[in-house]
Amino acid sequence: MKEFELEPGEHVVREARKHWLLFVVELLPFAILAILPFALPRLLVLAPPMAPYAAYFDYHTVLGRAGLGVWLLVVWTGAWGAFTRYFLNAWVLTNQRIATIKQRRFFYREVSSLLLPRVQDVTTNVHGILSSLLNIGNIKVQSAGAEIEFTMRGIPLPEQMRDLILKYVSAAPKSTGV
Amino acid sequence: MPDQPLQPFTSPFALFDRLRFSGSLPADGEMVIWALYAVFAFWAVYTIVAIYHWLKYSNASWIAFPSMAIHLYVSFALMSYALSGNAFFFSKYLP
Repeated sequence: MKEFELEPGEHVVREARKHWLLFVVELLPFAILAILPFALPRLLVLAPPMAPYAAYFDYHTVLGRAGLGVWLLVVWTGAWGAFTRYFLNAWVLTNQRIATIKQRRFFYREVSSLLLPRVQDVTTNVHGILSSLLNIGNIKVQSAGAEIEFTMRGIPLPEQMRDLILKYVSAAPKSTGV
Repeated sequence: MPDQPLQPFTSPFALFDRLRFSGSLPADGEMVIWALYAVFAFWAVYTIVAIYHWLKYSNASWIAFPSMAIHLYVSFALMSYALSGNAFFFSKYLP
């Protein structure tokens, strides 16, 4: 792992990301923007006062084609940037700790860890019909003592992840505080 | 209140005259080309930054290189389309 050095004897148990469906929802604005230059001339024709403006969307001219190419390039690059951020945001469970990696934007990255012996409570919640059907939910991990709380949002199979965390919490040696 | 009459606005391109760039001001067609190059330069910077993040933080995931390859292929196809109308594989889907 490049975000943090694994301790001797430590290994990654699972790496989790947001459910892919939530990522697809994030892509929806980009899909709409990509379709817009093709849909707009057709929609303008339907509204008679606006119909003359449809002629501006002629992609067979050099300028129209260049404009369309640039528009699609910008939308595509934005969508790929969204995928990059989706992929670089992850939760990593090792046999000794839970780490959250938050890539808020480029050059803005937060990595925080919670040692498993400090975990006091693990809560899962699945709200809504779609989340229940697709088994997408949140997990809240609370630590003992200090007010540290890790929340993983929109992860697939949250109960399975919770069980896995609890399994390794019970297996981790408790700190004596000495 | 100043007692001078209001001066009419001048075109921003008058700045080129002041800076003695008027001789090198590109024609309309060339302006489009330069605008395209400016967009491509922005794209290049963005792509380099994103690739840097993929290489540094994706933990050598198998998905990193296919993702970058697809991005570069689609982007070059769209750039080619903007410049010449040939978008490789995507030509049949574009006007």
